[in-house]
Amino acid sequence: MTDSKRFFDLGKSGLTRRTALKGLAAGAGLMAAPGFVRYSQAQSSAPIKIGFQAHRTGIGAAYGRWYEKTTNAAVKLINDAGGINGRPVEIIVEDDGTDPKRGAEVVAKFASQHKTDIVFGTLFSHVVVGSAPTAGELKIPYYVVSEGYHVASGKLNRWVFQPGITDVRSQVTSVAPWVAANLGKKVTMIYPDYAFGYDHRDYFAPAIKAQGGEVVAQIPIPPTESSFTKYLPQIPADTEVLYHVMVGPGVLTFVKELGEFYGSNKPQLFGFIDSLEAVDINSPGLEFLDGSHFWEGSPRYAQANDSEAQKAYRAAVGIDDNGASTTDAKDVSTAAHMFGCWETLYVIKKAMEDSGYKGPEDRAKLVEATEALTEFKEGPEHPQGDKKFNGKIHQVFGHQNISKVEGGKLNVVHRTSIEDGMYEPEGDYTTQPL
Amino acid sequence: MRGTNTAMTIRRSAAAMLAACAITASQTLPALAHASDRGHVLLLPTGHYIAGAALAVAASFLVLALLPPERLTAFWRRRLPLGSIPDLRLPVSLVSFAVFATLVAAGFIGSRDPLSNPLPLTIWTLLWVGLTLAQGLFGNLWHWLNPWYGPYRLVSRAFGAKAGGDSPLRLPDWVGYWPAFILFFAFAWFELIYPAPDDPARLAIAVGSYWLFSFAAMLAFGFERWSRQGEFLSAFFAMIAHFGIVEGDRQGNGLKLALCWPGAKLNEAEALPPSGALFLLATLASVSFDGFSKTFFWLGLNGINPLELPGRSALVATNSLGLAAMFILLAAIGLLAVLVGERLVRSTQPLQKSTCLFVWSIVPIAHAYHFSHYLTSLLVNGQYALVALSDPFARGWNLFGTAHMPVEAGVAMGANSAWLLWNLQATAIVGGHVLAVLVAHLLAWRLHPSAARASLSQLPLTLLMIGYTVFGLWLLSTATAG
Repeated sequence: MTDSKRFFDLGKSGLTRRTALKGLAAGAGLMAAPGFVRYSQAQSSAPIKIGFQAHRTGIGAAYGRWYEKTTNAAVKLINDAGGINGRPVEIIVEDDGTDPKRGAEVVAKFASQHKTDIVFGTLFSHVVVGSAPTAGELKIPYYVVSEGYHVASGKLNRWVFQPGITDVRSQVTSVAPWVAANLGKKVTMIYPDYAFGYDHRDYFAPAIKAQGGEVVAQIPIPPTESSFTKYLPQIPADTEVLYHVMVGPGVLTFVKELGEFYGSNKPQLFGFIDSLEAVDINSPGLEFLDGSHFWEGSPRYAQANDSEAQKAYRAAVGIDDNGASTTDAKDVSTAAHMFGCWETLYVIKKAMEDSGYKGPEDRAKLVEATEALTEFKEGPEHPQGDKKFNGKIHQVFGHQNISKVEGGKLNVVHRTSIEDGMYEPEGDYTTQPL
Repeated sequence: MRGTNTAMTIRRSAAAMLAACAITASQTLPALAHASDRGHVLLLPTGHYIAGAALAVAASFLVLALLPPERLTAFWRRRLPLGSIPDLRLPVSLVSFAVFATLVAAGFIGSRDPLSNPLPLTIWTLLWVGLTLAQGLFGNLWHWLNPWYGPYRLVSRAFGAKAGGDSPLRLPDWVGYWPAFILFFAFAWFELIYPAPDDPARLAIAVGSYWLFSFAAMLAFGFERWSRQGEFLSAFFAMIAHFGIVEGDRQGNGLKLALCWPGAKLNEAEALPPSGALFLLATLASVSFDGFSKTFFWLGLNGINPLELPGRSALVATNSLGLAAMFILLAAIGLLAVLVGERLVRSTQPLQKSTCLFVWSIVPIAHAYHFSHYLTSLLVNGQYALVALSDPFARGWNLFGTAHMPVEAGVAMGANSAWLLWNLQATAIVGGHVLAVLVAHLLAWRLHPSAARASLSQLPLTLLMIGYTVFGLWLLSTATAG
């Protein structure tokens, strides 16, 4: 399936959750071995501690599992290649229960109890927003993988970064030119009636207008709905593109009812894979999606033109050509987002190396070194593609994929340029004191 | 020092929450809500299943009404001897205690990840989910596995006391099952509502303190007495073991085992005191509320967006009230059903006696719902538990050869699994309710030795059970958060 030898030689043994831990135990054994020069290297050989704020329980748990797998895979490779500044990386997992209040407690625990160097890995926006003030107060760098616009908005603080995944505003903006040019200019938007849906509503409408298109109707759906038939007649008849971003357990019902409403005479459909992340695209009820298009951060299915870096990344994390676990074909990954953990860890590595990071006393230097980064080249460290980083708003910008559902797979038909997703920055964290 | 830290943490959390609210109010925020496996269930014809299940429970009542109770009882009393085994209660309990102590230590010094630390996985998945099911299916395994018995025997022997001898203090009769009731509610609150029941260190403090508290109470009031009325796990496990199919009779130094029908041990069961009846109802209320609290219905009722669930911390007050309300409602409806039934046959039995006898029929319903509600968690977290137990202190050990076993979460994912799991759940719910109808019927015959009167007295309770079948299956098929 993949040729992993070129970039990462993982051998044939699969990576399990404990491999990284085992490596650490071996490192500890080495330190205790006779003849080991402890006095000169005790400081520099101590592991870099990364506090992983993980959604192990609560509504984020399905994503948390894959975030953890990706993180462990990246950390194993980093450690196998000599760690960061010659020191092994140790991941300390704390569950935040996908709960903002606990998120803040976990950040405080990392800073004062575990004394980790940084905090990393949060996905859910409300947990990021709940935790960010604590990170700022305790002056501990906080690298999130959340795709929310909250970091880029300038409303968090100088200690919070999102260098491994693009934000929703950028994603939504970047797909508009392709949608207008290929699917149609009259768009009806169906979205859940809360913040997540509003981001799409607020950023897509002006973006499509700039392409000469228009949003002919906006149909917000109350979040507690689990049947959608009564809303579908609100879709104007002249709709060329139906832009849908429904999420939650009702998604399959939504697609099925949409199919029943339209039959074979349907408009073009464009959605965000967030709706069906970790769900088999061939599930009963989703037949209506055949021929429709989705945004994907990183493609779920292996593509014919995958780079060697992409192939190696997939092999290291343990996903097959269908984006499911190599040990469990039913366990579909959160491929569109989880690559962000991998890339974030390599950004942290780069920033720590650039700043000559030695310990918590260098945290401010680490912040400045991260802010000084400007671009990341596509390759083993950034398998999703090259990226540009804006140090003022602490946000990364990259390519987006538009995939078509064909033959039960998602095939990438377009890759946006980085510029497609650029927007005018609204803040500047570098003016805040450290 | 600790107090200062806690105060600081609280202040920080409060500041964080305020900031979060301020930002949430001023800007929009994306969040991902997973199209979970409940999504596949939503596409199944669950309405047909629910109607069919209700009919099945109703039909079982009609069939029972037509069968002569004497024959049923005789049939129910049959036993199939299995032979004798030595009674290993003391050594098994001591091993169990050693394992428990190791797990508590792991809670303090093992991995901080609740899916890698064996303590939360053992307590919540293997013990509360797994052992409860095993007790109800097979019988009183807890009699041996109890981690208090061995240490209690050793300590009492060291102080020269005889097993079963007088305890220093006597638990007054009026106390009944109230201690177990209160402790169970505390446990249920910790499991369902406390923000971090899976946190290894907090759980270690909770279970370690509970062990010490119970041990002290056992030394004070006697092991048997406190296990029956105070220690809620022992009390609960003993009650549901009445439905297990293996019966053990102590004979000399051994145990004589026999196979029996589910619930057959109830033939000898007495009416529970009111506190015991409420204790049983509380166990059903708690597991039902766990399901109910995640439904879009409940969240919508409380103005909470299920697609952007704010986390347990924000739901403590709402769900505490909900849990209490669920219990009160269930107890009130149950009491009303028995009251109306007894009125229908102009019963001369005291209401308390009949209620506290009929409450036994709750057990198979609670057990079936326990199975259905926790099935997915058992299948997935059970695997995490096997992995974690091989390396309890996160030292890279592989004690049982399972440390590197890949956890297959896919067992509970996708449309096919959803169909299979739903069918297993529906079967269990129907089976549990049919058994409940049977149990109630036979208990009614004990109270009213006329087949017609016994059946008539059961009419309201049967309606309640049909209602609960519908409710239980609705909980398992409606849209839920997470």
